[in-house]
Amino acid sequence: MPQIYFEDIQEGQEISELKKNCSTQQLVLWAAGSGDFYQIHYDKDFAQGTGLPGLIVHGALKHAFLGQLVHDWIGPAGRIRKFGCSYRGMDYPGQDIRCRGVVKKKYTENGMNLLDLDVWTENPEGKKTSPGTATVTLPNRQ
Amino acid sequence: MTTANPSVITDEMRAAIGVEGSPSVMEVEKTNCRMFARSVGHKDPIFFDEDAAKAAGYRNIVAPPGFLGTPIFNPTRPPGVPGETGGRGFTIPYKRVLNGGTEYEYFPENDVICAGDTITARTKVAGFEETTGSLGPMLITRRETTYTNQHGKVVAKLYGTVIQY
Amino acid sequence: MAEVFEVTDEIKAQYGKETDPWVYEVTTTSVRMYARGIGSTDPLHYDVDYAKSQGFRSIVAPMGYVGTPVFHPDTNDGTFGFPRRAGGTRLNLPMKGLLDGGTETEYLDYICAGDTLLETSHLAEVKVRGNMVFVTNESVFKDRASGKVVARQRLTSIHIG
Repeated sequence: MPQIYFEDIQEGQEISELKKNCSTQQLVLWAAGSGDFYQIHYDKDFAQGTGLPGLIVHGALKHAFLGQLVHDWIGPAGRIRKFGCSYRGMDYPGQDIRCRGVVKKKYTENGMNLLDLDVWTENPEGKKTSPGTATVTLPNRQ
Repeated sequence: MTTANPSVITDEMRAAIGVEGSPSVMEVEKTNCRMFARSVGHKDPIFFDEDAAKAAGYRNIVAPPGFLGTPIFNPTRPPGVPGETGGRGFTIPYKRVLNGGTEYEYFPENDVICAGDTITARTKVAGFEETTGSLGPMLITRRETTYTNQHGKVVAKLYGTVIQY
Repeated sequence: MAEVFEVTDEIKAQYGKETDPWVYEVTTTSVRMYARGIGSTDPLHYDVDYAKSQGFRSIVAPMGYVGTPVFHPDTNDGTFGFPRRAGGTRLNLPMKGLLDGGTETEYLDYICAGDTLLETSHLAEVKVRGNMVFVTNESVFKDRASGKVVARQRLTSIHIG
């Protein structure tokens, strides 16, 4: 992951996108990684029994995708101070999930170089299924 | 017929605001950091390789964003009151629930969460809000969890919102 | 009928050829997860204080668990987790179907959370029966600190052509 610098960032710029497409296998890996073994994510009969069309991607996995989006963009010397999202729409295995973000505010506070970002996951129809925000610090060019 | 919906916030609920539930302990280890990182699809070696993490200035493998450790699972202990969830279990008339969102705040100036850390989580209700929207009358509950490491440093906070309607 | 796979003399000459070692780690979370996965309710696998009161270093690996191989997305198989490493033997096998043919584990000592093991493996035997190829590998697990062998495993997989 290349290092980016505070001076080079502008409000309104889009951050580098992360594309995901979960296999059902990834949903099982996430169950192991997160400890959430809710069957709607790996047992299709169970999922449909609860009224869902089929298996759905865990909200928390999309939250973690947004964590990766921001972590990879800020580079090794950047730090995440805050990140979070809401779950507004469902995402499904086998379907593209675009993880995207935009710089909303660039400022310094308490000696820190801060950026506020809007981040979100987007489905193939362009709907923002998990809208969220992040606050990061970036280093200065030495 | 009155147009205002009656409040579902009880005195018991009001009294719970700001009161921390019993702590729960989570362990951050190399195996579970890697498993979380692998399941998300992370590629950064600091989440997998101890040497890479140390070369980048960290104490050990780094907990990926969103990972706060694994709670100690022990089926041989009697099930306790889920105090660590801080105020869950109020009886209110709304039967449906939505996850309104989660936000993590990190304090890297205090410490970065790494393999080898033991994290203690304490949750409290931060507040209740009532509103009426497209789903009808709703109760919004905000909870805050504070995560402290084995050195007593606050390493993260979680702000969670639950919508009942 | 042509055999689905031929066990040549060259393959037989590979039996016993060791791979480079790989690190396997035993942690409290991984021991508990394995125990939880099999449905064990023995506190020896969950409660560190209890395990120590019974004379163990920490919680004990349930039978069959020999640690988790260090995983890196560049070196480990995404589905089965095994490491791709130097040494050993590579076979070109029919892969229409794959089944687990069995596991035998021999413990020479208790394995506990906190242990780090070094594992090497070698191809032990290849047998063909009809359209099925039985491949047996043997792994040796040594405690990294002491160098002592703590466990051996014989793992058989069935490749269906």
